[in-house]
Amino acid sequence: MSGRRIVITSGKGGVGKTTTTANLGAALAKRGQKVVLVDTDIGLRNLDLVLGVEKRIVFDLVEVVEGRCQLRQALIRDKRLPSLSLLPAAQTRDKEAVSEAQMARVAEELATMADYVLFDCPAGIEHGFRNAVAGAREAIVVTTPEVSAIRDADRVVGKLTAAALPLRLIVNRVRPEMVKTGDMMSVEDVCEILQAELLGAVPEDEEVIDTTNRGEPIVLDENNRLAAIYDKIARRLGGEIVPFTNLSAPGLFGRLFTLWKAG
Amino acid sequence: MRAFDAAPEAQSELDPIAPPALARGRAIVITSGKGGVGKTTTTANVGAALAAAGKRVVLVDADVGLRNLDIVLGLESRVKYHLLDVLEEKVELDEALVRDKRSDNLMLLAAAQTREKEDVVTAAMKALIERLRERFDFVLIDCPAGIEMGFKNAVAGAGHAIIVCTPEVSAVRDADRVVGLLPSSWRPELIVNRLRPQMVRKGKMLSVEDVNAILRLPLLGVIADEPGVIVATNKGEPLALDPTSETGAAYRAIAAKLAGEEVAAPVVRVAPSNGLFGKLGALFGGRA
Repeated sequence: MSGRRIVITSGKGGVGKTTTTANLGAALAKRGQKVVLVDTDIGLRNLDLVLGVEKRIVFDLVEVVEGRCQLRQALIRDKRLPSLSLLPAAQTRDKEAVSEAQMARVAEELATMADYVLFDCPAGIEHGFRNAVAGAREAIVVTTPEVSAIRDADRVVGKLTAAALPLRLIVNRVRPEMVKTGDMMSVEDVCEILQAELLGAVPEDEEVIDTTNRGEPIVLDENNRLAAIYDKIARRLGGEIVPFTNLSAPGLFGRLFTLWKAG
Repeated sequence: MRAFDAAPEAQSELDPIAPPALARGRAIVITSGKGGVGKTTTTANVGAALAAAGKRVVLVDADVGLRNLDIVLGLESRVKYHLLDVLEEKVELDEALVRDKRSDNLMLLAAAQTREKEDVVTAAMKALIERLRERFDFVLIDCPAGIEMGFKNAVAGAGHAIIVCTPEVSAVRDADRVVGLLPSSWRPELIVNRLRPQMVRKGKMLSVEDVNAILRLPLLGVIADEPGVIVATNKGEPLALDPTSETGAAYRAIAAKLAGEEVAAPVVRVAPSNGLFGKLGALFGGRA
């Protein structure tokens, strides 16, 4: 088995990397794929909380790298979706505790155990970012339709392109009503600015705050519209051609922003 | 583990009877651990409100490589030089300071966009903040997300911290970690950002009391979640300057408090929730 290794990154923090990792991972697992999620945010881990497994952590990524436990011992299997596992980050260590070469080795080993290995990247473009990217062969860039998030995403797209990593975009927290009034960029605007292929667009939904606090990825709630949206993203990732849900029509905003960016 | 030694903020500088000639400004870092909770928006708005109240204010964007404070202030096309140009003595400080469009009291020192955080020399950063304190009443340092080098450099020259936290379990956990990394002599103040009182009432969001039961910090202010903030950010016009905005008023109250005025405690008209707190308490009570 040689699974796909995908880093979920953004540059800017708080745009939904961890939420995306948890929900995309769960959506893939629901479709029968074997999935390992790796939290690379050493010192500020949160993927365990979003999955609701924080009390079951025994070993972590740093202990694996330091040879203090077997990789399999550190993996936490999800109780709701048995084909989904988490490799948690260490909470009381620094990002420098793991090197890029060590990360690449862990990724290599995980890829023999799963169909998909998703790396949840920390915010920023420092050592933690480089580590998260080191084990990946593809990237998903998460951004929101905000000027600051797009500028940061643009910087990350540049770095990923330089590293020859193929990438696709998830535009998160879209508010169609604000797009309509011209107060928010449309998904099309964002893709045009970043010149990147769209993997999916996810609308803003306040339920996400609650499900995150409760450690239950929103895709587990079949009645939530986001479950269907993440499922479509999972299918697209698997190579299916799935039509996009129309969240908005393109506006003038993006064109202005493109001008501004060029100038 | 503490990332660094306590930066000195001599008590006399806060002493109102100290002679004005010796008075230096306060250097305050705005930090959070977690990204996207509103550090940059807070820095811009509190800075704008302080300047509007007549204080001399400089905002320092410490997010080298991922700068955004210039956008939030609508100054992106006026940035010519940046923090690293000053630290590396390529230009004079005055050449790099960008004057705000709306207030002569407000200046921005932008971050470099195409450099790395590791390029900043901590000692040079400290010396620069010292120089800025001689000329400004407030030096507000916009910290990058995370707790890596960029965080350490942003904190290095400061004497005080404002912790920005949203009512989310993950943000509270990261904020708690950051408080632990700050010098133990500091007493950071808390801004709870993006509160949705409706959700708190329904038990679907942590209340301010829930958040602060864990962090236990002096509460500087509470900012409600409103789409107007996104619009204001995209336009580059801080809400703090909008006299009709409730959020703007909340920022002005925070500024007044920082400037030493007596301000009534923030009014948050919601009862404390119960459902979520159990999880939060358990998390912090017995962590792995």
